[in-house]
Amino acid sequence: MAAVAYADGARTTPPSREKRRRQRLPLILIAPSIILLTALVAFPLVFSLRNSFCFWNLQMSPKPLGFIGLGNYRAAIEQSDFVEALRHTLTIAVVGTAIEVALGLAIAHLLAVRLVGMNFCRALLIMPTTIAPIVTGFLFRYMYDAQGGLIPWLIRTAHLPLPAQGLLGNEHTALWAVLAADIWQWTPFCAIVLFAGLLSVPDEIVEAARIDGAGGWTILRRITIPMIRKPMAFVAALRLMQIFNLFDLVLVLTRGGPGSASRTLSYNLYQQGLVDFNIGLSSASTWLIVIIVNVLIALFAVFAFKDIV
Amino acid sequence: MSRGIVLKLWLYAALLLLMVVFIGPILWFFLLAIRPPETAFQMPPVLFFRPEWNAFYETFVNPGTNARQLFNSLIVAGGAVLLNLPFSIPAAYAISRFTFRGRKNLMLWYLGLLMAPPVAFLIPYFLVATAVGLTGTYLAMVLVLQTIMVPFSVWLLKSFFDDIPADLEASAALDGARLHEIWWHITLPLATPGLIVTAMFAFVFAWNNAAFPLVLSDQDTATLPIGTLGYFGSAGITWNNIGAAAVAAMLPPMLIFLVMGRYVVRGLTFGSIKG
Repeated sequence: MAAVAYADGARTTPPSREKRRRQRLPLILIAPSIILLTALVAFPLVFSLRNSFCFWNLQMSPKPLGFIGLGNYRAAIEQSDFVEALRHTLTIAVVGTAIEVALGLAIAHLLAVRLVGMNFCRALLIMPTTIAPIVTGFLFRYMYDAQGGLIPWLIRTAHLPLPAQGLLGNEHTALWAVLAADIWQWTPFCAIVLFAGLLSVPDEIVEAARIDGAGGWTILRRITIPMIRKPMAFVAALRLMQIFNLFDLVLVLTRGGPGSASRTLSYNLYQQGLVDFNIGLSSASTWLIVIIVNVLIALFAVFAFKDIV
Repeated sequence: MSRGIVLKLWLYAALLLLMVVFIGPILWFFLLAIRPPETAFQMPPVLFFRPEWNAFYETFVNPGTNARQLFNSLIVAGGAVLLNLPFSIPAAYAISRFTFRGRKNLMLWYLGLLMAPPVAFLIPYFLVATAVGLTGTYLAMVLVLQTIMVPFSVWLLKSFFDDIPADLEASAALDGARLHEIWWHITLPLATPGLIVTAMFAFVFAWNNAAFPLVLSDQDTATLPIGTLGYFGSAGITWNNIGAAAVAAMLPPMLIFLVMGRYVVRGLTFGSIKG
């Protein structure tokens, strides 16, 4: 029955129209998602762009208080909190990604060993990554507690130096303590994804290299890493970007403090816009961040993602 | 002892260390929820005690505030998943099945959205939601969550559509089936497992998001983590209650990941690595 209907349709429809319909179909299917996302994304950006040229503090007025040109941009850069936050953010993004990927790769090799209970451990290992970052923040705030926290106790028991104000209260350690929580949460993610990559490396190649006298380090550098290039690039790019956007952990653990010692770009933005209610300044910061993020993502598109799309 | 056995022992030791470092803190938090309050900050750690369930009772039964927040979390995450599917299913199907100009750039655009800093959108959303009276509504949260839900689901779903052989659809078309018939009788049944997996990961993604509810929710619609954040502002934090609320917030994503098994890698990499 259906066959007849289709044949009828085919006879009455000229082939060119049918072809055009086929071409239009993907666009019709994609359009709703593009329209929704464009509305949700373009609108805030345009709105921020306008506000970034205005003097507007929400505590003074519900409406912008006048055009001040590039004043907000100058303030963002000159008052140095933006630049300081940018420095913090880039530092932890690069250091954090390097640690997570390197540690993840080491753990992935361990996961590939046949041991009793390994399957069970692999399934459990991903658990830190499943937790909401903000809840990870609660967990580490509990464990970092200067008086009765588990981590200070471990450090003291090992007779290592510990700042008197606690790890989160000291300006030299706060940012790194926040990063440590991120590393705890996301190293398992790197390990599990890279382990999946390792499974695709054929044993014969590694065996052959070993017979030819290649050491473990040479095999890693010359065979393993080139063969898992794709998952490594993906994991590294994703982690770099997510640490670059780090917000939830900072909110719970330090609120950017002490002073501004652990402010990240995202937290700085939140502070400017939704704590100090300086909408003009925060909009200018938003646009500076948007430009940086777009440059980073463009770099990823060229280097890290070109063979996964 | 032979060298092989020594090596094995070292590997087991490494595995044990791995579990202690990465699973230990989670257990430590579970213990917080059920330990007597006076032992919460007692060092050296108190590991043996009579478990008390008082904290769960206080946070989820007694005054009922966290129970409400748990419900809110379910509504927001569930609503965000339901709203996202009608947008992402057709888009993912089109990207998987058709070649058209800009297809690759479109995928990169979705990926870019997943990597964008949510806080950059937060302030405009807050201002507009306030202006139109949407702050504190589920709708506002569910809507802005789509900025990450749709790109995530499109990527993951595309990988599942890629797994369904296009030949099946082509042969059905040769037999004269129409496009919508093919879709309903062949593609959809085959894609259902992938749809369920995608919906579950998307649920976790929405459940764990804190930035949007932080700004767009109010007392009545606060999600569980945001409600728990409120404890920190009040004098004399009851850490046992924070532990209990956090355990409730942690359990659903953990269970979903345990159930997902072999799909975990695929979910975590937005479908780009099949695992």
